[in-house]
Amino acid sequence: MIFQVLPQELLDLLRVLEFWDHILIGLAKTMWLYVWALLFGFFLGLLLALLRHYGGRILSRIATGYVEIVRGTPLLIQLLFIYFLPFSINSFLDAQGLPFIPIGRWSIYVTSELFGRTMTMVFLDHITLMGILTLSLNSAAYQAEYLRGAVMSISSGQLEAAQSIGMSRRSGILHIVLPQALRRVIPSWSNEAAYLPKYTVVVFYIGLTELFAQAHYIISETFLTLSVYIVVALIFLVIITLISKSLDILYKRTAIPGL
Amino acid sequence: MSNTPNIQTIFFYILSEGLFATLALTALGLLIGFAIGLLLALMRVYGPTEIGWFASGYEKIFRGIPVLVLIFIFSFGIPGLFSYLEPLERPIAGVILALGLRSGAYQSQIFRGAILSVNPGQMEAARAIGMNGFQSFRHIVFPQALRLAVPSWSNEYAVVIKDSSFAYGVGIVEMTRVAFDIAANFPVLMPLSMAIVAILYLIFTYPVTKLFGERQTKKLKDFGMGGG
Amino acid sequence: MEKNVLNVVDVWKAYDELEVLKGVSFELAKREVKVIFGPSGSGKSTLLRCINMLTPPDKGEIYLSGQNLIAPGVDLNAMRAKIGMVFQHFNLFSHLKAIDNVSVGLRRVKGFTKEDARAKALDALHQVKMAEWAEHYPAQLSGGQQQRVGIARALAMKPDLILFDEPTSALDPELIGEVLQVMLEIAKAGTTMVVVTHEMGFARAVASEMIFLDQGVVIERGTPEHFFVSPETERVKHFLRQINILYGHHEELLKEFNED
Repeated sequence: MIFQVLPQELLDLLRVLEFWDHILIGLAKTMWLYVWALLFGFFLGLLLALLRHYGGRILSRIATGYVEIVRGTPLLIQLLFIYFLPFSINSFLDAQGLPFIPIGRWSIYVTSELFGRTMTMVFLDHITLMGILTLSLNSAAYQAEYLRGAVMSISSGQLEAAQSIGMSRRSGILHIVLPQALRRVIPSWSNEAAYLPKYTVVVFYIGLTELFAQAHYIISETFLTLSVYIVVALIFLVIITLISKSLDILYKRTAIPGL
Repeated sequence: MSNTPNIQTIFFYILSEGLFATLALTALGLLIGFAIGLLLALMRVYGPTEIGWFASGYEKIFRGIPVLVLIFIFSFGIPGLFSYLEPLERPIAGVILALGLRSGAYQSQIFRGAILSVNPGQMEAARAIGMNGFQSFRHIVFPQALRLAVPSWSNEYAVVIKDSSFAYGVGIVEMTRVAFDIAANFPVLMPLSMAIVAILYLIFTYPVTKLFGERQTKKLKDFGMGGG
Repeated sequence: MEKNVLNVVDVWKAYDELEVLKGVSFELAKREVKVIFGPSGSGKSTLLRCINMLTPPDKGEIYLSGQNLIAPGVDLNAMRAKIGMVFQHFNLFSHLKAIDNVSVGLRRVKGFTKEDARAKALDALHQVKMAEWAEHYPAQLSGGQQQRVGIARALAMKPDLILFDEPTSALDPELIGEVLQVMLEIAKAGTTMVVVTHEMGFARAVASEMIFLDQGVVIERGTPEHFFVSPETERVKHFLRQINILYGHHEELLKEFNED
């Protein structure tokens, strides 16, 4: 009887949530991609930022070129480029009679049963690797901009003072400039860190079953297109807000007077 | 295409078949975003607190949803939306709407920041010579805010033109779709095709962001041009 | 040459087209306090940065206790550990507390243990009367306090000499005294110093020699008495006249000091 009183939209929503296992796996995949992309993007981005600011003419130009190209082209194009690159290289190698790069159907995964549903989470396979690679290379360019801004904002007197007591340039950058720059970058870096999950949806186009892809599966089973998309949109909103707030707290906890 | 395409054919094909769509999507998306963004910024800066919350909420929502999801929602998600259009035209409207709504959220922040950056003394001086609120805004604050907004806005332009590439998946023939289709029969050429279209995107983003980005406008400010 | 802590020989430095230093030379013996002064833009700061090779000279040589710093293969970091520097804008490491500012060089460059370094750092802070502020961050200290910590940072490394680059120029007037006090004390205690400053009272009190630098050239050099009683060149006279108008107010401090 109750089910006749509830509005249609709510019923639709409940129907979508029946597929909670698919949503869960999709979400897990999205977060998996996000975390690795953020991490690799950070270290590569840091390297790029330091090369741009402290590197010699050649290295700093290369780093700048990389950042400008990645930031000036769509993520989708970068994904397709990287995804199809092994095929091209293999064709070329094949024509030369050389052995080619294996793009086998390998997979590292975990299957488990929860509340009567079986779920399989693939941690690493060829397309996941391509996805993480592309997202990392892309995020690195954007993170490099933030990090470079923070490094530039540290006055050159800090490095001079470090050198004046006998620290090498490298030691000074590592122990004096970097700690200050990393603390300063947290507000703008939080921006990138909080919004990066959004960009993981692009891997849908190479067949990775992250949240958006799972949404399409559910749509094909229920035809409740709008409700499914809205659920997905809400999930993203919640994740982004959570990450944003957590980073805010982190920033306040690590505050140093005057920095 | 029976024979394998070479670099020139790929280049010109992408340009002739896809460029117009890309630019049209971008322009319309930015336009809608401009209208929404300006309205929201005004609401947040000059409006009562409750309206400000609404505007702020809008921003949070449309910044937090992936643009690809938005595109799908407005192209296929809402039955009856754009029903007055041909089925083939609906995704186009959907993409433009998605790009516009998203851009509106970002442009709202840009304009809000720019308006707040204009020296409050300007508004005071305008009132002092007898202009009312609307006039002071339109003739004194707004022109300066626009100039201050240029660097961020050039960045937003770059974002929207890159996002237009997502229209690839909903059946619209813009640059990315063309690049993909050409090489679809020859996967070997895909990276090349992608590289070429990447260069095209760069041509449309790099000069703009370099010319109108932070450093350039700072230099212009030194010469007396620019805001506040 | 070995008996001198520092030998600056015919140093030239240019930035793009502009020649900032044109053949500057001087020697510095142990326990000497040398004051370099002159109009702004005369190359004084550049000279100091050439001495510790932060900006190497284009021509000329720098000898630290007989060792040529310009020679290839010299471990500049090790050399810089023997030369202390106090900066006009303090340049304290903003993310470190005062005590850590002073001890970081002892730990990372000289390799002392954490406890050792901390103890030595505390000693240095005592010398500059900043021991009770050891746990404070630079942003929590006044300009004069920050500069004193800067001096402690240089002292802690037990360098052969300390370079002072206009140490009081960025300070509010009422804070200059406390920094000059510390500098007078360490000068009297026998520290070898090269000081770029406008504080003529300080020079008169402790300088063994004063050098007037203008547009990259040494115009005149001599004892403080020489300068204040009978300077030779017109340029020097003119400069001193202008300076005395500005810096007369530290006379009280110096009177007290000389009465010790």
